[in-house]
Amino acid sequence: METADLSHHISRRFNEDLERVRGKVLAMGGFVEEQLAKAVTALVEGDSVMGEAVARDDYQINNMEVSIDEECSRILATRAPTAGDLRVIVAIIKAITDLERMGDECEKIGYIASRLATQERPADKYREVKHLGRIVQDMVHDALDAFARMDAAAALTVARKDRFVDEEYESIQRQSITFMMEDPRAIRRALDVMWVVRALERIGDHAKNMCEYVIYMVHGKDIRHIRLEDVESELRQPRA
Amino acid sequence: MNAALGGWSYALARLAAALVAGSLLGWFVGSYWAGLAGTLAAYLAVQLHQLYRLDHWLRNRSRLDPPDPGGLWGDVVVQVVRLHRRKKFHKARVVRLFRELRRSTASMPDGVILLNDESEILWFNRKASELLGLRRKTDFGIRIENLVRQPEFSRYLAAGQYASAVVVPRKAGEDSWLSFQAVPYGDGQMLLLVRDVSRQTRLETMRKDFVANASHELRSPLTVIAGYLETLATDPAVPADLRAPLAEMRRQSERMTTIVEDLLELSRLESSDEEVAGEPLDVAGLLATLRKDVLARPQHPSEVRVAIESETRLVGDPGLLHSAFSNLVDNAAKYTPAEGSIALRWWSDANGGHFSVTDTGPGIPAEHLPRLTERFYRVDAGRARATGGSGLGLAIVKHALQRHGAELEVTSVPGRGSTFTCHFPVRRLLAAEVARRASA
Repeated sequence: METADLSHHISRRFNEDLERVRGKVLAMGGFVEEQLAKAVTALVEGDSVMGEAVARDDYQINNMEVSIDEECSRILATRAPTAGDLRVIVAIIKAITDLERMGDECEKIGYIASRLATQERPADKYREVKHLGRIVQDMVHDALDAFARMDAAAALTVARKDRFVDEEYESIQRQSITFMMEDPRAIRRALDVMWVVRALERIGDHAKNMCEYVIYMVHGKDIRHIRLEDVESELRQPRA
Repeated sequence: MNAALGGWSYALARLAAALVAGSLLGWFVGSYWAGLAGTLAAYLAVQLHQLYRLDHWLRNRSRLDPPDPGGLWGDVVVQVVRLHRRKKFHKARVVRLFRELRRSTASMPDGVILLNDESEILWFNRKASELLGLRRKTDFGIRIENLVRQPEFSRYLAAGQYASAVVVPRKAGEDSWLSFQAVPYGDGQMLLLVRDVSRQTRLETMRKDFVANASHELRSPLTVIAGYLETLATDPAVPADLRAPLAEMRRQSERMTTIVEDLLELSRLESSDEEVAGEPLDVAGLLATLRKDVLARPQHPSEVRVAIESETRLVGDPGLLHSAFSNLVDNAAKYTPAEGSIALRWWSDANGGHFSVTDTGPGIPAEHLPRLTERFYRVDAGRARATGGSGLGLAIVKHALQRHGAELEVTSVPGRGSTFTCHFPVRRLLAAEVARRASA
């Protein structure tokens, strides 16, 4: 229904502007997804060239952020949107900040991956990291899908997944501590892996933020800093 | 038509008769006008009643039988019923056809998505929703790029080159692959075919890996064999009758080494489809080196001409371009007799830069031209073995050119000679003065 509101606009040009910006945000999201996938693959498969490529390509994400930011400012200045449209613009401005940070975390992972590629790989071949990477990749993907469909229910489901990421993060942390105690020579590598895991966990947080913007965009409710259970019960009530 | 006319005249006659009768009745009673007005009022009431029945029936057509008022109204009812029946018949046919169409596309093994001119989703079949996770209720009207966000797919749509399909990972990072083929139709609308090509892609990767690994593993034993053969060939203790076989073994081991090296080079080239960046290259210098190489061969064509018609630099990977160009020049030298000639030419125009090698060799029959760049393809098997090529040279050329966005064109007249031309796009060129300024 909210999507219908978007497409039934008095000013066709305005509508096109909004749709274009939304398309750009999702294209940026697609690029971030690719960067994330490449970064994790580079680490797991020990591909230093790919890791370097990820670190090098981050500038493209930054460029996209700047360009979308400018376009949003232009729309705010020239069209003075209100109500739902204003929420869309505000949500986009916030979402691209999160996407850009995700890009930075990917850059970090790529950089560490290219460094770790020269060293011997652990026996488990980063299985845990790969698993966490998969969860985070799914989260980012589903968050962007929810953004594309303006689907608040799906966004809420994704936001709830963040808990798994945190659990996984804890477990890898414990495991790394064990490795470090067993073999002090592994400390350096274990620290690097911790950085990667930390970056993945942060990306999960950013994906959760994106979901919050989707809910804000659709329902006009700010759900940051509120327990998800409360959010759910509140959203189930009929809208005023 | 006649029946309708009959009905109308009958109705008019009836009205006239009623009016006459009414006014006569009024005249008897004493008020001529009252009689006329009374008749008209009664007539109007009857008509309104019929109109009411018709309206009532039309509104509840599905439940009620048609009224049978007779006369003009009856004709109207019959017309309506007939019209309605005809419409129902056509509608049923269209619906049936549409359902068949939808059922057949739904059961297609490939995903099908219809897009409008804004690349918004109009319709998709079950397979498409399975492959892409599209949802029937919510996803109509959403731009396809918003849901299929792989950058390569967006580039494919934006480029508008729909001659070939694009293969992208299903979800970033997964080892499952989808191929998209866009088919434009009508006024900017588009049919998008989606296929799961994970199996093919995995097989292709396995093949590439196998070739690379096998060649790599073959290299070390070959080096050992070649080393011993070289020592033996110069060893005076070797009996004279073994010298000829040893020399032949040495030649063949060299040939094997060339094949393995070429296979490795090819798998390196194949490992990526992305275009190389590279640096500005002095084509004149490169061609001069190649000319010297040809003249250094024990048997070489008497004349090797180099024509540099442009000072434009070529931007590319020096190693790849050297290997591509030298393969072409080597081929020409191999197939051209000592009294023949080779011409190398570099020129540029609005379409880009061009490098050509023309020889006066035996030429290639037209039926072989399309398959020339296939691996191990031989125009004349016996001859090729004598010249000692690996059979991979032109495949390497093709791949090296692809990595520069360039194409290979071959023209040949049997008995007169062949011309191999590399066409580089404009973005691969750097005007000489720009290059000079950049280096200054």
